[in-house]
Amino acid sequence: MENVSLFVTCLIDAFRPDAAKAAVRVLERRGCSVEFPQQQTCCGQFSFNAGYQDEAALLAKHWVEAFEETSGPIVALSGSCAGMVVHSYPDLLHKWVLRHDGTEAEAESWRSRAQSVANRVYELTQWLTSLDSSGAESGDIDHSVPFVYHLGCHMRRLLRATTEAQSVMAPQGVELIEPEEADQCCGFGGTYSMAEPVVSTALADAKWKQVGCRAQESGAWGLVGTDMGCLLHLQGRASRQHNSFPVLYLSELLDLVDEGRLSPEVVNQYGGWQDGRNSSR
Amino acid sequence: MGGGKMAGILPVDTRPWPERRDEALANQTMRTTISLTTRRLQAGQLKVFSDYPEAEEARQRAILDKRAAIKDMDHLLEQFSQAVHEHGGHVHLARTAPDAVKLVRAIAEDSKVRRVVKTKSMVTEEIELNRGLIEDGIEVLETDLGEYIIQRAGEKPSHILAPAAHKNREEVLRLFERDASQSGIEPPPDDDAKTLTQYARRRLRQEFLRADMGITGGNFLVAETGSVVLITNEGNADLVTTLPRVLVSVVGVEKIIADWQALQNIIQQPALNGVGQRLSSYTTIVSGPTGGDAAEGPQKWHVVLLDNGRTGLRGTEYEDVLSCIRCGACLNVCPVFRQVGGNAYGSVYSGPIGVVETPLLTEGTILAEMPMMACTMCHACVDACPMDIDLPAHILSLREENVEKHAGSFSTRQTYRWWARWWATPTGYQRSLRMARAGQRFYMRDGMLRTAPGLAKGWFQSRNMPPVAKETFHEWWKRTHEEGGDRHE
Ligand code: SF4
Repeated sequence: MENVSLFVTCLIDAFRPDAAKAAVRVLERRGCSVEFPQQQTCCGQFSFNAGYQDEAALLAKHWVEAFEETSGPIVALSGSCAGMVVHSYPDLLHKWVLRHDGTEAEAESWRSRAQSVANRVYELTQWLTSLDSSGAESGDIDHSVPFVYHLGCHMRRLLRATTEAQSVMAPQGVELIEPEEADQCCGFGGTYSMAEPVVSTALADAKWKQVGCRAQESGAWGLVGTDMGCLLHLQGRASRQHNSFPVLYLSELLDLVDEGRLSPEVVNQYGGWQDGRNSSR
Repeated sequence: MGGGKMAGILPVDTRPWPERRDEALANQTMRTTISLTTRRLQAGQLKVFSDYPEAEEARQRAILDKRAAIKDMDHLLEQFSQAVHEHGGHVHLARTAPDAVKLVRAIAEDSKVRRVVKTKSMVTEEIELNRGLIEDGIEVLETDLGEYIIQRAGEKPSHILAPAAHKNREEVLRLFERDASQSGIEPPPDDDAKTLTQYARRRLRQEFLRADMGITGGNFLVAETGSVVLITNEGNADLVTTLPRVLVSVVGVEKIIADWQALQNIIQQPALNGVGQRLSSYTTIVSGPTGGDAAEGPQKWHVVLLDNGRTGLRGTEYEDVLSCIRCGACLNVCPVFRQVGGNAYGSVYSGPIGVVETPLLTEGTILAEMPMMACTMCHACVDACPMDIDLPAHILSLREENVEKHAGSFSTRQTYRWWARWWATPTGYQRSLRMARAGQRFYMRDGMLRTAPGLAKGWFQSRNMPPVAKETFHEWWKRTHEEGGDRHE
């Protein structure tokens, strides 16, 4: 029995709590005991990427303090937020202390506090692939159900977790296929989506075009991802354009498989937001 | 050299970003062409590095050599100048762009120059040299195919390595047909890439012979031997540097490297990373005018070393920017660049390196908004950069500087400040979500958020958003997991 702490991220907490509930079930089925540190809020990446370093540091400090209370692995429901903690926290806090007239020793101490928490952070699929039996018995799979997979930029480049999601889903009889030009950003970029909505949207449209092509060729049932920011941006764009192609967070998809509920009808309920599906299960 | 630090001066498209952006996004031909070109170049880079593992070792050595040369720049430039002098050449240092233009104009006047032929050079674009020379009644002809095309079109380079990357062959054919009819010569028969190149070559051959001054940029300055090294794909640099009687090389001070050994590692990098070839087709080395060691060549050789804000970056967190070899790899992989192309950036330097370098060289006097407007923080550029320049970190620092200089609006800063203060405590965070939930019905239709005030407004120009959930995960956990909670909803 592994004790893991769940980091749900602010976007999932507020806009798609079902994805986190699904993650809890998925983890528990795989023998993890899940704790949810209730002090957690947001990793601060929105502020950080917009150039508000003091504000980001405030949130980063809080995040570190909240998760220092825990021990063992921290499972993050976002490649990007995990990347923020792992890649940016140590330097961010170090610099923040020095900027506010702290001593080098104090700055170093914050850096190492951040580093030691960061060392325990895994994005969900990274964690699942690290488990011995990364899933329920898969039996004989004679055919796989295809989904288009969107791998976010930070998961790809900061965590270098480029094949984990596929490894998690393949034994479950789900094939995750990346679209053409998968390495191109979907245009979300945190506050970029609000500060420069025009380019951000042009990128969303380019991404949807490739996702659409791939879905058509492969007969994919939906789009699945490991970053809620990208997915809200992509589905938000689709919704505005009356495109109701299903969009799922990876934990939701895995949970459906676990429960034996994976069917086109159920997946289709993840298309469009009109039914208010996000607020109740 | 180096000495007093001074802000550089760069040309700028003064139209506001939204105007430049919208013009670019409306140009479908450009977007298609840029996207195809950049994808092709990116694929080339990836392939050549997987085919030749030893290229990676050379790249690592090149980074070390280059970083060391930047540190030792003053001394190496001194050594370079000395060596050029010994070969009978002249070295001039230009603090700013106008200084450099003034120097070249004076040289041209001195030598009674009427016609100039040029190789591809971003630095001469940076200082807008052509304009200055044309004002003096001098004819200036670009001889690199890409530069030749955009000169015919009266445009600016849209890519630091492939200046005509935004033009497709059809457009080039039309330009050449017009050019041919104006000069009463045979137009190219079709828009095959080879045919177009042949046309330009044929057209240019006569010009080389008539020109009395050649102007080059320079990819590297070798301190040890006082050489300017040029790499090209077409061999035109060989003619520019040998046929006219006067030769001027305008080169940024940061192009300095120590010696021949260092050159070996770095010389492959522009071709490997820029176009995915092991070596550029042509390497031209200029070491002096005729009468010196060189067997053929111009009677006079001048090297203009351009600072224009560069030395101001030494010793700062941005120093690695001076290692840039202008390979264009960061442009090729940049999602924003692929959408809007180079001209939308408003500077001769576009893409990730451009949004960093332009405000840095000019001390933030121009295009300071571009680090915010042209970057999604996807980190593709730093992965692609052969010189390991930490472009995303620089973009973040420039955004931060912008915030500190109060360039952001007051209300935006207040929003970020309060957001952080509230969200840095669990109660503030949860309360703010409850408040959002209570207020959001005013912004909803058919179960979705359609608009919102403040910072989020931009989102709703083109996208919907689900409302804050009736029960957040925090609330659900509390309800189901705390003492007496109902575990199963
Ligand atoms: S920043 Fe790096 S990738 Fe971009 S042009 Fe310069 S050397 Fe090439």
